[in-house]
Amino acid sequence: MDFSPLTDALASKSYEKIADICDDLMLKVAAEGIAFQDEWPYVIHLLGYYYVNDINSARFLWKSIPSTIKDSRAEVVAAWKIGQHLWTRDYAGVYDAIRGFDWSQEAQALVAAFSELYTKRMFQLLMSAYSTISTQDTALFLGMNEDDAAYSDVQQQGWTLDPASRMLTVKKQPHVTEQKLDPSKMQCLTEYVFHLEH
Amino acid sequence: MQSIENLVTQIQGLSSNASDITALKDYLKAGEDLLRSESTRLLSFLDQLDPSKHSLGYLYFLEPCMYCSITKERANTLVPIIARFITSCSAEQIRYVPEKFINVCKRYKDQVLLLEAPIRGVGPMLTAIRKIQSSTEHLTTLHPEFLQLCLLAKCYKAGLSVLEDDIYEINLPRDFFLYCYYGGMIFIGQKRFRKALELLHNVVTAPMSSINAIAVEAYKKYILVSLIHHGQFSSTLPKYTSSAAQRNLKNFSQPYMELVNTYNTGKIVELETYVQTNREKFESDNNLGLVKQVVSSMYKRNIQRLTQTYLTLSLQDIANTVQLNSSKEAEMHVLQMIQDGEIFATINQKDGMVRFLEDPEQYKTCEMIEHIDSSIQRIMSLSKKLTAMDELISCDPLYLGKAGRERQRFDFDDFDSVPQKFNI
Repeated sequence: MDFSPLTDALASKSYEKIADICDDLMLKVAAEGIAFQDEWPYVIHLLGYYYVNDINSARFLWKSIPSTIKDSRAEVVAAWKIGQHLWTRDYAGVYDAIRGFDWSQEAQALVAAFSELYTKRMFQLLMSAYSTISTQDTALFLGMNEDDAAYSDVQQQGWTLDPASRMLTVKKQPHVTEQKLDPSKMQCLTEYVFHLEH
Repeated sequence: MQSIENLVTQIQGLSSNASDITALKDYLKAGEDLLRSESTRLLSFLDQLDPSKHSLGYLYFLEPCMYCSITKERANTLVPIIARFITSCSAEQIRYVPEKFINVCKRYKDQVLLLEAPIRGVGPMLTAIRKIQSSTEHLTTLHPEFLQLCLLAKCYKAGLSVLEDDIYEINLPRDFFLYCYYGGMIFIGQKRFRKALELLHNVVTAPMSSINAIAVEAYKKYILVSLIHHGQFSSTLPKYTSSAAQRNLKNFSQPYMELVNTYNTGKIVELETYVQTNREKFESDNNLGLVKQVVSSMYKRNIQRLTQTYLTLSLQDIANTVQLNSSKEAEMHVLQMIQDGEIFATINQKDGMVRFLEDPEQYKTCEMIEHIDSSIQRIMSLSKKLTAMDELISCDPLYLGKAGRERQRFDFDDFDSVPQKFNI
């Protein structure tokens, strides 16, 4: 098996490409009739799916893994544990699953990158969903301890703490969107009107 | 006198240009009986042919090998040979005998299933589709075979690559039924329910002279997905649905129709009891997973309904109205729905309140305009195709003959009642 596209992507930290690369490679080696299951980098493949937020595909991959591998490779099971928590939206459980295993060297960087990305996604979620939130919950969602949540990290984003109730007031970030249009749109519009009238 | 050795020489000599290939095709056609009678020996000759250069000849030699009974052992030899052929053959050459190519691919699918390794067929089958189809709008017999392999191999994502093409040309109705049914299942697996509904709807409303099993199963899933996605189900089918479907579908899916009725009461306990008592029926249809999703979608539906009535509501009130155990559970449901973009709201933990908001989309960002733009363009090209189709039918002698018989008397106005386009 030639894993060079995968190792290249890992080396250049193009983590968003991992899932697609693994999918292609898997179909290719399978078509050649190679019994790939025993050597397949299931951990990287699963993490690649989490990275692009494709939990459905991760779940199908897990279902297709032979039970002998599920029994013999603890890291694969540990990687799926993250997926399980993502699937059931056990937001804090994801961090426990990440910290609860001593990841192999190949997986470490990807796990760390996913963890960071996941925290970012959670932060965005909190920002869009809450106006006030307890420091305790913030800590759970962002995978940090309560004091960090209360004092350092989120206050940099302009959130304010009410020490009495231990509640944070969320500051929404202004949404910046591109609204400028280029003149070629005018041409399109003319064509549409022409189409409608004929 | 023809012999296999002779045929091999001919293939090697006549595979370079188009006129040679045409001659070769006639030659091979004449030798078909011989090839069939010698089918057991053919495999040993394949070594002398190059699948990429001698694709047509290779195909003629490969096809008869498919007809003898296939054991696991034989499949083990054949599967890699066919896979290599599909990957490297020349599309131009195999299109001379598409039916043979399709035959080989179908048998190939049977063999990978016999080996219990559906994933081995996914890649080659996709290549086969791309090689045999005249354009991406062309639905081949291999499409449903490919999607079935994707489902069995749990490579749902691989199936999306053909499902994203718009289909315009169909050879056999059965291909279309199966393609939409399997496609629907793939989209269900990816939780893209809107697309799944679209495909299942196509199955149910497609022209059919008598009811078929694919349509019945599609209808059952259509009911469930409709509940999950829209929170409601309307049993009236569009006018253009065949009368066979109109008459029969509901009778074949009684437990599902009753599920809809129970769902409409809005009471989660009743729905759960109904599912529990009819569990076996849903299980035997392999729909229990979807039914469970219907049950959990009911919480969402009930929360969504609240957003239409209230501007702010306490988490406790939400929990009481939608029958959740605690305000924390209600908070998690609301949060999930915000995450999935199903409602717009902000949660205030301090006061334990939720404020429901309007959809912030103002339809003026560049991204949105691009989106609308591409939609308009797709509709425009579709409408052009419809016009072309309409013109084609109005010049069809068969149609005109029938239409003429049904309408005996013509007025001059009949031909010119609509103002025509005119040139300035």
